Amino acid sequence: MTDGEAVKAVGFQEGRKGVAWWLGVLAMNLCVPPLMVLETVIAIVVAPVLLVIWRLATHWSLGKIMRHFVYLYGKVWLWTISGFVGLECVRLGRERFAGPCVIVVNHWSFFDMFVLAALPVFDVIIYLRSWPFKLAWYAPFMRLAEYQDIESQHWGDLEQNTRRFVDKGLSILVFPQGHRSRDGRLGRFYSGAFKLAIQNRIPILPVCISGTDRLLPPGRRWLAPAQVRIECLDLIEPDAFQGELGHIELRKHVKRLMEACLARS
Amino acid sequence: MNDAQVIEIINRSLVDEFELDPDRLKPDARLIEDLGFDSLDYVDLVVVLQKAFGVNLREEPRIREVRTLGDVHRLVITLKRELETQPGR
Repeated sequence: MTDGEAVKAVGFQEGRKGVAWWLGVLAMNLCVPPLMVLETVIAIVVAPVLLVIWRLATHWSLGKIMRHFVYLYGKVWLWTISGFVGLECVRLGRERFAGPCVIVVNHWSFFDMFVLAALPVFDVIIYLRSWPFKLAWYAPFMRLAEYQDIESQHWGDLEQNTRRFVDKGLSILVFPQGHRSRDGRLGRFYSGAFKLAIQNRIPILPVCISGTDRLLPPGRRWLAPAQVRIECLDLIEPDAFQGELGHIELRKHVKRLMEACLARS
Repeated sequence: MNDAQVIEIINRSLVDEFELDPDRLKPDARLIEDLGFDSLDYVDLVVVLQKAFGVNLREEPRIREVRTLGDVHRLVITLKRELETQPGR
C-alpha cells in the first residue's frame, strides 16, 4: 500500500444499507471474529519457537523481536479484515519516522491498535493504560515488547524510561485521549506525551485515524464494514513551546491540527 | 476580587487549560475520579493557579489535602486572603 493510495472495500459502501450491506455484515461477523481468535491462538502457540528463530537470525533484542511480532500480528489482522474494510493510508512515508519522535494518535476504537500496523515502522514503544495489560492473551506480548503501562508508573519512571528509549533511537506512541471516544468527539487530550516530547527535544508526529469507530461503535455488539483512514500530519518540533506550560500549548496546537484533519476526512 | 470571581477564574482555567467539560465542574467533583486528573495535571494545576493568582502553591503543604474541586476553590481563596493580609501589602 503506497502513500496516498486508497483501497476501497469493493461492494461495501458506508451509508448504503441495502440487502448487500446486511449480507456483508453477516459475512463479516461470521468470518472475522473466528479468524481473529484463530490468529491469536496460533500466535500464542508459535511465538516461543518463532522468537528463538528470530533471535538466531537477527540477533535483535527480545523487545525488538516482540514489537516486530506484534506488528506482523496487526498486519495479519488488516489482511483478515480487508475484504470488509477499505483502508486509506495518507502521507505514511518512512521519512516522517526517520528519527525518534512522539507519535500521537487519536483513539476511537479497540481496533485502533491493529490499524497501527499500517504504519511503515514497527520498532515503536506504545504507551497504554492498564486495561490492555489485563488481557491474559495479550499481556505477555505487550510486556515483552516493553510497551508501557502508564497508570502503574510514577511520572518520574515514565520520564526515565522514555529517555532510555529515545537514547536508543526509538519512537514512542501515545493515545493522548487516554481512552476511546464514546461520543464521536475528539475529547480531552492529556499533556504527558507533549511534556515528554519537550523534555527529550523530539518532535511530535500526529497520526489521525478515522472510521474505526464505525467498525464497532460503543454499545453495538456486531462489526460492520467501514472505510478506515490513517493520515500522518507534519512533524512538529517542540522548540517553539517553552516555559512551564509549554507542553499545554503544544498539546492544544496539536489537537487543533488533528481536529482539522479529522474534519476533512 | 471576590470569592465568586476566584471560583470563576479557576473553573475557566480548568476548561481552557485542561479541556474539562464545564458541566462537570461541581464543587464536590473529585479531581481524580470525576475529572480524570493524572499526576501531571496536579503539577500543571499548581502552575496555572500560581500564574492566575500569584499564590505560591508549590510550597503549600495544604495542597496535598486537595481532593475535590471545592477543595481547590477553598484553598486558593484562603491563600489569596492570607496574601492580601500579609504585613507590608
